This record gives sequence, structure tokens and C-alpha cells, in this order.
Amino acid sequence: MLFWVIAAILTLGASLAVLLPLTGGVKGGSPAGDHDLEVYRDQLSELDRDMARGLIQPAEAEEARAEIGRRILRLGAAMQPGAATPKPARSARWVASVAVLAVPLLSWGLYSMLGSPDLPSQPLAERLAKNPADSSVDELVARAEAHLAANPADGKGWDVLAPIYLRLQRFPDAVTAYRNAIRLDGDSAVRQSGLGEAIASAAGGIVSADAQNAFEAALKLDPANAKANFYLAVGLAQEGKKAEAVAAWQKMLGQLAPDSPWRSAVQQALAEAGGPAVADAAPATGPDAQQVEAAKQMSPQDRQAMIETMVAGLDDKLKQNPRDEEGWMRLIRSYVVLGKADQARAALGRAVAAFGADSAQAKKFTAFAASLGVTATE
Amino acid sequence: MVETGHFALVLAFALSLVQMLVPLVGARTGNQRLMAVGGPVTVTGFALTALSFAALASAYASSDFSVASVWENSHSLQPMIYKITGTWGNHEGSMLLWVLILTFFGALVAVFGNNLPASLKANVLAVQGMIGAAFFLFILATSNPFIRLNPAPIEGRDLNPILQDLGLAIHPPMLYLGYVGFSICFSFSVAALIEGRIDASWARWVRPWTLVAWMFLTGGIAMGSYWAYYELGWGGFWFWDPVENASFMPWLAGTALLHSAIVMEKRSALKIWTLLLAILTFSLSLLGTFLVRSGVLTSVHAFATDPARGVFILCILTLFIGGSLALFALRASQLTAGGLFHPISREGALVLNNLFLTTATATVLVGTLYPLALEALTGGKISVGAPFFDLTFGPLMLPLLAIVPFGPLLAWKRGDVIAASQRLMAAFALAITAMLVTGLFIDGASVFAALGVGLAVWLIAGALTDLAVKSGFGSVAPPVMLRRLAGLPRSVFGTALAHLGLGLTLLGIVATLCFGTEKILTMRPGETVELSGHTLRFEGLTPQKGPNFTEDRGRFLLISDGNADGAITSAKRFYPVRQMVTTESGIRTLGLSQLYLSLGDENSDGSVVVRLWWKPLVTLIWGGGLVMMAGAAMSLLDRRLRVGAPAKRRKPAAALASPT
Repeated sequence: MLFWVIAAILTLGASLAVLLPLTGGVKGGSPAGDHDLEVYRDQLSELDRDMARGLIQPAEAEEARAEIGRRILRLGAAMQPGAATPKPARSARWVASVAVLAVPLLSWGLYSMLGSPDLPSQPLAERLAKNPADSSVDELVARAEAHLAANPADGKGWDVLAPIYLRLQRFPDAVTAYRNAIRLDGDSAVRQSGLGEAIASAAGGIVSADAQNAFEAALKLDPANAKANFYLAVGLAQEGKKAEAVAAWQKMLGQLAPDSPWRSAVQQALAEAGGPAVADAAPATGPDAQQVEAAKQMSPQDRQAMIETMVAGLDDKLKQNPRDEEGWMRLIRSYVVLGKADQARAALGRAVAAFGADSAQAKKFTAFAASLGVTATE
Repeated sequence: MVETGHFALVLAFALSLVQMLVPLVGARTGNQRLMAVGGPVTVTGFALTALSFAALASAYASSDFSVASVWENSHSLQPMIYKITGTWGNHEGSMLLWVLILTFFGALVAVFGNNLPASLKANVLAVQGMIGAAFFLFILATSNPFIRLNPAPIEGRDLNPILQDLGLAIHPPMLYLGYVGFSICFSFSVAALIEGRIDASWARWVRPWTLVAWMFLTGGIAMGSYWAYYELGWGGFWFWDPVENASFMPWLAGTALLHSAIVMEKRSALKIWTLLLAILTFSLSLLGTFLVRSGVLTSVHAFATDPARGVFILCILTLFIGGSLALFALRASQLTAGGLFHPISREGALVLNNLFLTTATATVLVGTLYPLALEALTGGKISVGAPFFDLTFGPLMLPLLAIVPFGPLLAWKRGDVIAASQRLMAAFALAITAMLVTGLFIDGASVFAALGVGLAVWLIAGALTDLAVKSGFGSVAPPVMLRRLAGLPRSVFGTALAHLGLGLTLLGIVATLCFGTEKILTMRPGETVELSGHTLRFEGLTPQKGPNFTEDRGRFLLISDGNADGAITSAKRFYPVRQMVTTESGIRTLGLSQLYLSLGDENSDGSVVVRLWWKPLVTLIWGGGLVMMAGAAMSLLDRRLRVGAPAKRRKPAAALASPT
């Protein structure tokens, strides 16, 4: 509201600047010749002053005076006596009214196209001082940063901030924060594995020697740390040791709790590693070592065909025994991995139907499928 | 506050349209009221632009990242001074500064122009309004500094670290005061062309504006040169970089204009030529703006490249240069020609000066534009650098500089070269001595060094001779002489100071180029190095943390005659936000010379690459610029009207030369 008041006042002022001279009295403007005469008179008096100061010789001054006098005479001849100012024509009044109207119309029209009148100024200090409940994540982070800049020895502060940085994808900041937390509050598996992840993410996902050291430090403190195990396997895969990486991931699948959030990451990694995507904790339904060995020696097309055969087998099995919760999820993921979105969607529908649309399992299936980008309807 | 600034900017644009049309119509129809609109509208337009600029500056100062331009060019950790100077350290803000200065000069004309004929004043303000309207439109259409972001980011992207320097506070505003100051001369010229006549007050009015613009442009260029010298870390002070040339061309043309305006004001001669020069000078300023702002050239000055901006400025350029030259072609024949003069006279000398300066401007123009044109036409990239300018610009400058001391000693209308030469004998003898001393004792190998030093001494002594002769040195008793010296018009001091400054700058350039020494070496802590009689000991590198950077600061101890004589520090700074490294050179001024030191990369074995320069008399390069500025200021203080007093022995035939 205040802004509109200011804008109105400004517009009024600007319009008055146009309007007032138009309505004011004419100061009986003099023709240009008068100004020249003034200049020449000035020159004459200047000459006298110069002569008094001895800056010019009397004879030369006399000549200069004559020269100026000639200019004045010429001016007198050129000037037309009584050249009256013409009366304001109608066209002039027209120009004047257009000019007065143009200022508010043009400015308000243009501003409504360009401006953001509803957006208040947002000085940083003010944003950081307001109630935390109204603040955005960015603002809260900035507040925490300001706090840590003033108290850099607050290990707990760094510990809280580090994973937030990681989630906001500010990886170099996350590295610094984890290092500070470790330095101030001591080692822990969570901090070390977080540091490793931050280093790796900052490097675009490459698990460098630095990152590896951090993960190994984490495993020393907690051998079951899923993040460290997972990334170390990623590191192996990046070094070209695919088989070792796959083995490590397989081992993780055996150890992870069934509801561990790492399961899907591991399975996805296995799928990307070209290994059997459907491999799971239940070895009975997965490919046996022989099959895996066989798959390794196949051409990509053959391998694809083999995987498809296995998925089809799973599909058949679920038709006969539809109350296999794990099986349905495996099937949906397999279709997603194979890029068959339609079949994945169909599998989801069948799974929901098998347990009843209102069952807890059905909700779980839907959420699981959504996390893979599959929805029940198009 | 931000939106108030935005609204004020839009309002200022609307007013500039009124300013460009209403007084013009008034002057055409002789309507006093319409003409009277020009003044108040111009002043209000300036007030609104100032409000707009203040709003932007306050957004920068308070780190309001809801403004896109602030987000792109500022950071909350920057020291306050760089937050504020960052306002014009980017394309949008610098264009706003441009129009702020433009409207400021317009307002000055409106306020102090009461002694101008009403129609001339109206036309001048209308032309100013046209320039203003074009640039307001440019800003609003392609470079709006008030574009908002919602939601606002929490942190900005930082100002380019090279610009985080005090130089940004001085260089651009001064340069713009110079560039834009010439717009007033341009407006007066176009107004005179529109009116079809030039009256006596015209010359009286244009000269102070030329002086002001020239003074600031000189300062801006000198400051820019010094900034580049200490900030870029390789000790050069002029690179013939196209962006530098862009500011140098208006300076050369402006210098010519300054001199031809003297003739016009004093002798009412060279009117048409002065008009043309005024148009060309501002055209070159616009060209400079185009080259720098369009992204045609990539440099630290091209903050952002956007083809739309380039095309827009090119349109402005075509409109104003083409329009004014067309008007000139149409109307110049109607203007009455000025007085005649003998070839050997003060006027003649000034014409010669103009001839050389405009040719030199053309040379620089060719050297700047040819590579661009070639690239546009054939796609081939060539670099026109120092060798080209040494071969073309240099030879043009030598004769010009050689005749500079003669100019002020020649009389108006008809001069006496022999008399002037006799008066300059002492200066000439000094110059020859300096040449001999240089050639025989300092550097026998370089002809250029001897010639350069001789020329510089010739200029300096010539300028002093002018003062000595005018105060009657040697012919009157000392007390009388001092009284006369004090009574000399300020403009005489102005001329002498400006020419003296030119000599000082030349001396600095020659000394630095010819007698400077340099060394590049790797040093470990504790090692010493000697350069031109100065011993430096490397103390070591220490890491330091600044507000928004970290640096490795190298400390060097200067040892004179076995005693420690203070430290010099040079640093490599790292700005994490932009991931940029800058070099902070270490400079120690000893007398007029400088020891210049810059850190290179650190080797794995702990040694550091160090570059060292001994730059004799280098401060004179910019000191000379300051002296030139002082000269211009001195001339400005001279309110005396110039009345060309004809020489005594004037023959009747010379009466032809009577002015209008």
C-alpha cells in the first residue's frame, strides 16, 4: 500500500513538472540577439579590467574594443526590432495536453508490465532476523552459518548442518562441516561415512582415495555401516572390479534389515552394474552362481534375453501364487529396470488386486512403485 | 524501496520523452511556455534517476537478493565498500550510472543555463532528452537492474574478484563523467544545427563543458591505467586493448575539441569544425559504450554478453551518429564562417594540433575496428597490438609533441615563429642536454630513450618557459615579475599545467619502458634477490583469511644499505564463490619510482615463482595525468572571457579576418 502512495506522489510531482511551466506566465522572453549583446558587453568590461591590471597594452585593447564594437553594430543590424513572440497556437495547446497526460499514462502502463509491486524489499539482515518458523530452509541454513561464523567451535552445530548441506547438494560446504564436526566432536561412523559421501558427491560421484579413507574409518567404528559399505563397493566398480563390487553388494543384501532404505539403492546399483537386477535376498528364486557365470559370458543381447526369461518365470510364478509380497515388488522393479513401464504398471495393478485395494500391502506397493516412477494410472 | 526505484526509473523515461519533444516543438513554433517545460522536466528527471539509483545502491548495500542484479553480482560477506561499488560493477548498474550522469549534466544546463537564449536552451535540453530516452529505453528493455527473483536466493554469486578494489569506486564514475560530459557539447552542436546559427554565447558555453568532460576523462583513463597496472599483476600500464582504445579515442578527439573551442571562443573562427568535432567526440564516446557493452569485445569490462543489447546499442549508435552527421551535412552551409587568420599564428598552431590529433584518433579507430571487421567478414582472427600502434600512432605523436611549446607563445592572428624560437632557446638547450646525458651516460644503445627523454624535457621546459615569458622573466625586476605571474589569467596556468603534465607522463612512459628492469625467479624463504640496486629477502608465505577470500601472503623484506627498510607483501587470493584466483601485487614507491613484485605459483618443493620489476619514474605516468586534470580545473576557474586582442602590426588586409 505504501508503495502505491509513493508512486502516486512521484507521478504527481512529475506531472506538475510538466504542467506548471505550461500554465505559468511567460517571462517576456528576449530574442537571441539580446544574449549576444550581453556577451559583448561582458567582453568590453573585461577588457577594461585587463587594461587596469596591465594584462593588455592600451593600443591592442583599443583595437579589440573596436572589434567588439563592430560585432555589436553587426548584431544591431541583424536584429529585427519588435519581433514579438507569436501567440500560442492551437497545436501548441494540443502538444501540451498530450505531454501532461503522457507522463502518468505511460509510466503506470509501463510499470504494470515491468514491475513487481507486490514484492517487498528483502534485505538479508531482515530475512535472517525474522521468526524461524516463517523462514525457508535456505534462510535457516544462513542463520546457522552466521551462528557458526561467530562460534566456529560449536561442533554440534556443524554436525547438524552437515547432512543438510548434503541434502541441499552444497557438497564442498558439507565436506567442511563434516570435517569440523569430526575435529570438534570426535569420530563417529555416521560422520565419517557422511564425510566420504560429501567428498564423493563433490567430485561428481567418484569415490576418490580421500573418500575411501573416510569410509574405511567409518567401517572401523561400525563394520555394518551401510553407507560406507555401499560406497566402497561403488569405488570398486569404478576401479573396474565389477565382480568384487557385485559380491560386496550381494553380501550387503544378505545383511541389511528388510526395511533398510539402502536395499533399493543396492539393487539399483546391481542392476546398473549389469549384474542380475532381480537378484535378491532369497537365493532360491535368484539366479544361481552358474547362471551368473553364464550371463557374464553372453553377448548383451543374449544376456538381455536371459534376464527377460527369468522375469517371465517370476511373472508366471506370481500368477500361481499371488500372495508373495516380495515377489510382486521384485517383478515391478524388474519391469522398470527393463524399461517396460506398461508391464510394470500392469504388475502393480495385479499385485494390488491380489491383496485387495484397501490392504496395507496395496498401499506399500503403490508407494514403492511411485518411488520408481510408476503410477497405477497413466 | 526497490520497487520505488523501479517506478522512478519508468517515470524518468516518460519524462525524458516529454523533455525530448515539448521544448523542441516550442523552439520550432516560438512558444515560450512549451520551451519553458524543458528546465523543470530535466531537473525532475534527474531527481527521479537519482532516486532510482539510490534504491539500487541500497539494495546492493543491504544484500537484497530478491533483486536479480544483486544476486548475480554481490555477496553478503563482501566488505561494505565493495557492496556499494558493486552497484555499478555490472552491466545493468553501470548503465544506470550512465543515465544518472547524463541527467545530472542535463539538470546542470537547466539550472545554470539562464543566460542562454531560450530557444537554444530548449533545443539543447531536447537533444539531451533524446539521448536520455534512448538509453532509458535500452535499460528498461534489455538491461533492467530491477528485475526481481521470487523466492529470493539466500546468497549471491559474488562480485568479480578483479573488481573488488577501490579502483571500481573511482574509475567508472570518472570515465562516465568524461564520456557523458561530451554529450553536452554534442547537444549544443546539434541544437546549433537545428537553429541554423551559432551565436556568441554558444562558444562561451561549450568550452567549460569540454573542459569538465576532458578533465574527468583524463582522470578516468589515468585511474583505469593505474588500476590495471597494480591489479592485473604483470606491471603493464597500457595494453592497446580495444576497451582502452575505446576510452582513448574520445580523449584524443576531446583534446582536439578543447583546442579548437579555444579558437572559437577567442577568435570566433573554426566554428563549423568545432561543431563537427563535438559531434565526433561524443560519437566516439557512444562507440566506446557500444564496444564495451555489446559483448563484441570480451574483457573484464564485458560483464555479460547478450546479442539483443548489442543490436540495441548499435541502433542507438546509428541513430545518433547518422542523424547528427546528416543534420550537419544539411545545415553546415547555413552557418556563417568565422574569422580568417595567418597560417603562422596561434590559430594556425591550434589547427595543426587538430590535424594531428584527429589523424591519431583515426589511426586508433582503424587499429581497434579493423580486427573486428575482419572477424565479422572473413571469420579470421588477427590481433592488432602494440607493434601497429608503435608504428602509426607514435610517429604521429612525435611532431605534435615537438610543436606543443610553440603554440602558447605564438600571438593570435599573426605569430612570429622566430621570436617564439628565441624565447624557447633555454628550453631547447635543456632538452638537448637531457638527450646527451641520456645517450652518453645512461643508455647509449637506445635512440628512443634519448629522444623520448629529450622530448619530455622539451615539453616540461617549454611549459615553464610560457609562464616565464608571460610574467616578464628577465626583463623586469623580480618583485614585478612575481606580481605579474600572480596576475596572469588562470587559463594561462591551465595551459602550462596541462602541457607540463603531458611532459611528465611522457617522461614516465619513456623511463619505465627504457630503463626498467625485470626478473623472474623461484625463491625459497630466506633467499635474497637484487634488482637495480635494491635487495629483497623473501620471508615466507603465510596463509591468511579475508572476509570473502583466503590468501597466501608472501612477505618480502626490502634491504637498503644493509638495513631493513620495511616489508613488501604480495598475495595470491582465492575467492571461493567464483572459484577465482587473483594476484595482489606488492608495490613499494621509492621517490617517483616503484618496486613492483608479484607472486606466481608455488612449486611442490616449497619455492615460489616471483616476478620483480624496477619501474623508474613510473608514478609520473599517472602523476602527469593528475597535473593535466589540475590544468583543466585551473582553466575552469578562469571566468574571464577570452577576447582575442589583435596583434599590433595588423595590416589592413587582415581586416578581412574580422569575426562575425
